[in-house]
Amino acid sequence: MFLCYSMAKAVYKFLFIFGFVSLLHGGYSAAQHRRFIRITEQEYSTLPTDVFVQCLVSLIVTMYGVVHIVGDFREIRANIQLENKTWETAGNRPSFYIFSHRGRNLSPNYSACDGAYGN
Amino acid sequence: MSGRLRTRVDKASGDRIAYSEGAIRNNSAIIEYCRTSMAALSGATSGILGLTSLHGFIFFLLAGFVLWLLLLIKAGSQWQQFFVSRKNLLTSGLTSGLFTYVLFWTFLYGMVHVY
Repeated sequence: MFLCYSMAKAVYKFLFIFGFVSLLHGGYSAAQHRRFIRITEQEYSTLPTDVFVQCLVSLIVTMYGVVHIVGDFREIRANIQLENKTWETAGNRPSFYIFSHRGRNLSPNYSACDGAYGN
Repeated sequence: MSGRLRTRVDKASGDRIAYSEGAIRNNSAIIEYCRTSMAALSGATSGILGLTSLHGFIFFLLAGFVLWLLLLIKAGSQWQQFFVSRKNLLTSGLTSGLFTYVLFWTFLYGMVHVY
């Protein structure tokens, strides 16, 4: 279960990095196309379709990665959260913990002669 | 668990729904993070694509819509577990990313198309 979860995380991280690099590559391609147009003294109209599509697709892939990397949503309805709790958790009162109680008599190396804190 | 609760009356059934404040804050922090990343990345994309004037702002709205879809896909069919309102998820904080968007838009446009 844990392995599966961390593998999914790694996949999303890979998607993010892949998309980001692809976006940078698309930007470089666009700049190169622009330079080519300028050198050959043509009139610039639009980008080539493949660069256009690559930029859009890599934006969506990157965002898909980011949305999943950032973390999981938490349940906001309070009563559902309380329903999953056991009584042991809900009724826990640390102020009432007692450590020096009569249960020490059950310890095999306790002797009554050693005084109150003997063990 | 944070002890603070926020309640709202459900219009359909008349029940009182209690929301956990900490969970809502956690979810909105995640959404804010996604929104900022989306603004930066979509700004970079529109700069690379060389969009100008109104096209760029239309692209920004489109990017916000795509982000909304991605968040709903992540939440799955049980979106009511995580968000109070689905419409609010689309519109809230849309303008806060605009400046980040314009920053990256102009930067990448300058890098790719001007120089």
